[in-house]
Amino acid sequence: MLTLDHLTKIYPARPGEFAGGIRDASIVLKPGAFFTLLGPSGCGKTTTLRCIAGLERPDEGRILVGDEVMFDGASGRSVPLHLRNIGMVFQSYAIWPHMSVFDNVSFPMRVSKARKYSTAEIRKAVGEALDSVGLGGYANRSATQLSGGQQQRVALARAVVHRPKLLLLDEPLSNLDASLREEMRVELKRLQRELGITAVYVTHDQSEALAMSDVIAVIDQGQVVQIGGPREVYFQPATEFVAGFVGHTNILHGTATGPADARGVVAVEVTGGGRVLCRAETPVSGEVAVSIRPENIRLAGEGEATGAAGNAIAGRVASASFLGSIVHYEVEPDQGSAVFRVEGGPGTPFEIGARVAMSFRPEDALALPRST
Amino acid sequence: MSSGTEGSTDLAARRPAGGGVDQVRVMAIVLCVILVALVVPPVVILIIRSVSVTNPDATVGGFTLAHYARFFTNPDLYESLFNSVVFSVFSTILALLFGGTLAWLVERTNTRFKGLAYVTTIISMGTPYILYVSAWLFLLGRSGPFNDAWRTLTGSFQPLFDPYSMWGMVLVEGFLWSPLVFLLLSSTFRQANADMEEAARMSGAGVLQTVWSISIKISMPAILALALFVFIRAIEAFEVPLMVGLPGGIDVLTTDVYKSIRETIPPDLGYASAYSVVLLFVVAVLLSFYGRLAKNAGKYSTVTGKGYRPRQFDLGRYRWIGDAMVLFNFLIVLVLPLLALFWLSLLPYMRSIRLEAIAQFSLENFATVLQSSYYRELALHTLVVAASAATAGIVLAFFTGWISARRRTGGQVLDQLATMPLVFPGIVMGVAFMMVFLAVPLPIYGSIWALAIAYTVRYLPYGLRYTYAGVLQIHSELEEAGGVSGATPIQMLRRIVAPLLSPAILSGWLFVFLIASKELAVAALLSNTQSQVVAVGMYDLWRNGQGGELAAFGLIWATVMTCVASLFYFATRDGDRAQAL
Repeated sequence: MLTLDHLTKIYPARPGEFAGGIRDASIVLKPGAFFTLLGPSGCGKTTTLRCIAGLERPDEGRILVGDEVMFDGASGRSVPLHLRNIGMVFQSYAIWPHMSVFDNVSFPMRVSKARKYSTAEIRKAVGEALDSVGLGGYANRSATQLSGGQQQRVALARAVVHRPKLLLLDEPLSNLDASLREEMRVELKRLQRELGITAVYVTHDQSEALAMSDVIAVIDQGQVVQIGGPREVYFQPATEFVAGFVGHTNILHGTATGPADARGVVAVEVTGGGRVLCRAETPVSGEVAVSIRPENIRLAGEGEATGAAGNAIAGRVASASFLGSIVHYEVEPDQGSAVFRVEGGPGTPFEIGARVAMSFRPEDALALPRST
Repeated sequence: MSSGTEGSTDLAARRPAGGGVDQVRVMAIVLCVILVALVVPPVVILIIRSVSVTNPDATVGGFTLAHYARFFTNPDLYESLFNSVVFSVFSTILALLFGGTLAWLVERTNTRFKGLAYVTTIISMGTPYILYVSAWLFLLGRSGPFNDAWRTLTGSFQPLFDPYSMWGMVLVEGFLWSPLVFLLLSSTFRQANADMEEAARMSGAGVLQTVWSISIKISMPAILALALFVFIRAIEAFEVPLMVGLPGGIDVLTTDVYKSIRETIPPDLGYASAYSVVLLFVVAVLLSFYGRLAKNAGKYSTVTGKGYRPRQFDLGRYRWIGDAMVLFNFLIVLVLPLLALFWLSLLPYMRSIRLEAIAQFSLENFATVLQSSYYRELALHTLVVAASAATAGIVLAFFTGWISARRRTGGQVLDQLATMPLVFPGIVMGVAFMMVFLAVPLPIYGSIWALAIAYTVRYLPYGLRYTYAGVLQIHSELEEAGGVSGATPIQMLRRIVAPLLSPAILSGWLFVFLIASKELAVAALLSNTQSQVVAVGMYDLWRNGQGGELAAFGLIWATVMTCVASLFYFATRDGDRAQAL
């Protein structure tokens, strides 16, 4: 449905410095997919979205929606944005304050170049769009009388009213408060599924990305570092950056002592002392980073049986925060300087200063190439 | 699009992204052509004329540097230059001290009668300068009430004060500018953050110490920029030098140019051009300094919450001084000139304010003015010229402002073209357009359309300030949402930008309309008997000693324009009024 082919758009910067933009991004999306561009601010995810919309002109590469070429750097072909038939929800919602809700939502149909719509058609389509976002009956309201959440819904209705092939969403939830964000997240996903529309969603919030997406592209400093489903990105991060950005993790730096054995297990000499056994999805050698998710570490009192075979690191509890269903510990290991985040059950409290043993299975420790 | 047709449409579709920039590009090119046609000829013709022999039939002859030689060796030049500088420096100081103190008192203290300061400002925005100057000249003149009282009291035949002097000029010009200074500085003071002053008070500073070391120092960048602005305007000033300086034998730079055209036979076009080119250069240099100062003007301004009004100083037992200042301003800038005009309008001829004159009171002058087709035409011409200049200017400013605020291709060039008229003092603009209209093979010289074109160019930069700042306040995503929804750039401009910009467009239109209807310098050289406008007509009346009709007509006109000025004042958001700076 959407094809990005070596898409590149670099903002000019001082030599040797990355100012912003996207390099060499390629992806092919199936119709109806919910695709998320995930990364920290300034990583190039919004640039990518704006290139798809036609708001920015890429430097190189190709953009196809269906089989229509929207942009081709080689031939110089570029369809102007108003002819791309794409719906977009902006971060600021961009609701026109001088128009009513009806005028806002009906705008794409009234300016349509593809065909002229009759008044009755427009009325019907706007009514359906407003109903689908739960704003039936709001048509005659002035846009300035709407709350943030309602503006968000109007923006969504306007983006889908003319049945575009593609829906672009630029951090649409970032201006909403936490509870409304949860609600809109579910709502958005439902609407996207009902309409069967292909959606490209930009966010820096990894939990949003994991909850909503079919496919996630993790972007770091203008490079797509991994493309995959939410589980894949979470459980099999391709790099140290992905592991750290998607969900919480503990990173140990060290050196691989040799190639992985037949089971895919490799021993890593941890910088600062100690040695862990870990799983390697891709061949690693030399400098590596080992990622261990907090929920995969078991905590036991000193001298207690750790139970799990594999890695054990001794240390002492530096802090403990009771969060209800879990207790969040920070543990200082005896060797090395990295502080471990560990999640424990509420039933096994450890005092601050208590000596503990952290244990984790080799398959829960993932050896990854070091990110620079 | 199927791949079969792709090859054939490749060229047609060779457009950059950003939304059919083809339309925007066409718009930029059209604008560029129009602006070049409007702005460049005046400059070019001045330069050509300044280095060419002027033939007896006023056509262009061969190359010469004689005009410049004559200009720089003329001993009168240095006197005029000296006069101009003295006049500008002192009238700037007066306007700033007077208008600035007033602004601070009204905005930041518990002085009473604040409303009067605003009323004075609004009415002065609508009143032609020439009317003010006439009124003050009458008040301060030999037969005016002040000199009259002096003579009666002392029995002396010598008047106390001769208004036709450098100090008369400074006084009148200073008072003329004080309402604008008040308007602009009051918005600066209103934006001041009271927390900073309160912090100083909490640290143990007294009221005066706080005012000096915090309030004034914080506003200093804005005050300095404003001072230079008023200074430049005073260098370019024409009304006061013409009406006060010329009869008093005090020449300044602008009246020199005027004299070389209007009081030299045949008009000395070459010399006037050389003079103008030098003036353009001087103003350009001053304006570039101003640009640097203005960039710093907002350096210390802190953004405060909506509708937030900083706390006011309690003047305590000195409050009456503040009250007196406000009343004094009201009296000098509004009441006295108005009373003088009323007095004059009711009498058949100009005479001093005496009880026995009341016997001669009649509404004759008003009747004459209202019945005469001459005055009707004067008013009509002015309204048509000002309205067309405001309309044409704001249309150009709308597109130029959008293209340059959105940094589209060509925006910078367009912005520079449209801002260029700022370097023209009114009288220089008049000289330049006079020669342009005489050179084009169209019967435009002497018609009101010549004035409309010249005014459009002259006030284009002011209109642009409004639209440019207005566009910057529109979130760019509102425009992008239009493009993504399928609107072409033109549709987007019409249905989204224009409605959102309408407050700025209205303010800009009204502002240009107001100043264009007051313009004298350009009109003094471009209008003739068929195309007289109010300011020129009033000047003629003054020169012919028809003070009664001048006053009657002036009062009626000022009433109408005050309505426009109030519209401007109340239709405009606070920050926008200062846009013209």
